[in-house]
Amino acid sequence: MANTPHYAMVIDLNTCVGCNACMAACALENQTPVWDNKWRTYVHDMEIGTSTDDDVRRRFFPRLCNHCDNPPCMSVCPTGATHKLDNGIVLVDDELCMGCRACVMACPYDARYDVTSDDLEQGDKFFGELHYRTRPSVDKCSFCAHRVMRGLKPACVETCVGSARMFGDLNDPNDEVAKLVKTGVAKPLMAHLGTGPNVFYISDIERTT
Amino acid sequence: MEGMFYSTQNVWTWWIAIYLFLGGLGGAAVVVSCLTNMYFKPHKQLVVWGNISAFIMLSVGSLMLFIHLLDHWAVINVLNPMILITKPDAWIAWGTQFIVWMLVWSIIYTLPYLLETKFWTEMPVVGTILGWFNWLGKLSLKLHKLIGWLAVINAFGTVLYTGLLLQSFPAVALWHNPGVPLLFLVSAFSTAIAFLLLVLYLAIKQEEDHELRVFYERSDVILIGIELMIIFVFFEYTTSGLESARHTAQILWNDMGWIVGFVVFGLIVPFLIEFKGVTKGWGGSKVPIVLAAVLVLGGGYLLRHYFMYAGVYERPYPAVNIIRQHSELKLELAPTNKVLALLPSHYSMASKLG
Ligand code: SF4
Ligand code: SF4
Repeated sequence: MANTPHYAMVIDLNTCVGCNACMAACALENQTPVWDNKWRTYVHDMEIGTSTDDDVRRRFFPRLCNHCDNPPCMSVCPTGATHKLDNGIVLVDDELCMGCRACVMACPYDARYDVTSDDLEQGDKFFGELHYRTRPSVDKCSFCAHRVMRGLKPACVETCVGSARMFGDLNDPNDEVAKLVKTGVAKPLMAHLGTGPNVFYISDIERTT
Repeated sequence: MEGMFYSTQNVWTWWIAIYLFLGGLGGAAVVVSCLTNMYFKPHKQLVVWGNISAFIMLSVGSLMLFIHLLDHWAVINVLNPMILITKPDAWIAWGTQFIVWMLVWSIIYTLPYLLETKFWTEMPVVGTILGWFNWLGKLSLKLHKLIGWLAVINAFGTVLYTGLLLQSFPAVALWHNPGVPLLFLVSAFSTAIAFLLLVLYLAIKQEEDHELRVFYERSDVILIGIELMIIFVFFEYTTSGLESARHTAQILWNDMGWIVGFVVFGLIVPFLIEFKGVTKGWGGSKVPIVLAAVLVLGGGYLLRHYFMYAGVYERPYPAVNIIRQHSELKLELAPTNKVLALLPSHYSMASKLG
């Protein structure tokens, strides 16, 4: 197992400029139903700081499926559609998925959405003959497994202009992502839930006083 | 990260509440009517009423679920019993099997009684279908207790799984705790006994059932009392617990539907009515007990309704997907959408094809 990669992503909130290029790249790569505002990855535009005007800052917060080590979406899935690869990537098999949405309810990160029959029809119009989706199902980020298996990076990482998204292998001690995670610079979200997330964030909050 | 966001969900709503209610009620009705018949008082009519009603309830409940599936054909994957070997960790897989087998065994258990009742054998279509299964009715009588227990075990599984399903969602403090399966279990049996009391008082109407009715009334008082205690524990848990639970408390304990509808009229009032019934009696009048039973049934639904709506997720960012689904809420389109709208629809997907 030592040679098996364990994929993870680090997102640096200091360098995300909120251009949403990752959302566009992902939407085209994975044909998400953008006409209904459904995304595999989403960049929140938020304000942080205290209430005084000069202390308020804008924060862009990209998010996606965390490819949890202990994914509740997988344990609740009654059909086996949601499954985990040895390399840590959590996938949904749309042939098996019946769309009960138990996984949507179980995911603490709001990472999942419906692909409905209407979305399939829209997709045929929007993506034309290249549209590959044929079955309604619940969908989510796949870490672009189809690209990763060919040695490429996920589309969002490839396109990120601020280099805010880094993709790597936690099992490789020389990997930049593994170092950021191991040193504690990058931290997971809501790890107390026991989900074992594999997306880590470098905080943009510094102590100023 | 600092600054958390709190939101309820709009994915599993009233239709899941109806399903959970009917699943719990129907499952518990099978357990109580079969066990009554086997060990308390042989009662064919009660079995027929309990099991046929449960069949209808579970069929309606399952239909609610089925209608809301995204891919109806894929349901075959959970109907296959082998799913318990491949997905033993998924409560919906267990629940589906429990429901299917509960329906099968409870109907086979009831079959001999149906076959000896003119009302059923002379009913158009139903009578003809029953005629085909004479042999099964005879076989069922030979193994009646075994079949009864198979129905009871699967029905009990159906009741228990409804709470375990909610408990398996870790992000919501209201659901992810051991109190939920217990609460749902107690509520299911309380509503089932209330339902069977209605059957005994309004449909079967036999004088010799007096002892059985008293036994049910006593059991129901105890169950409603336990449910009240569990609700008090939940009050404590939600008001002084995790932040997500405190948001739930704000929703529930500021809502008159929950306080007056469920706690007062769904629990306290029927508890008091039935308590007086078992201690001092109602002078032979059935009206108060019938009223209490109706209130318990209404409360049983409201409990599940509010549990679905008051589950609060805690996240470091606002919800996008879970709120938008099935809701009329219109989110402002992300700016990227406008960019995408400008792209030619037949774009080149080089990386996918390459
Ligand atoms: S983030 Fe949600 S969808 Fe992704 S693996 Fe974790 S629980 Fe599943
Ligand atoms: S919606 Fe699909 S992937 Fe999600 S739990 Fe149901 S069957 Fe599994």
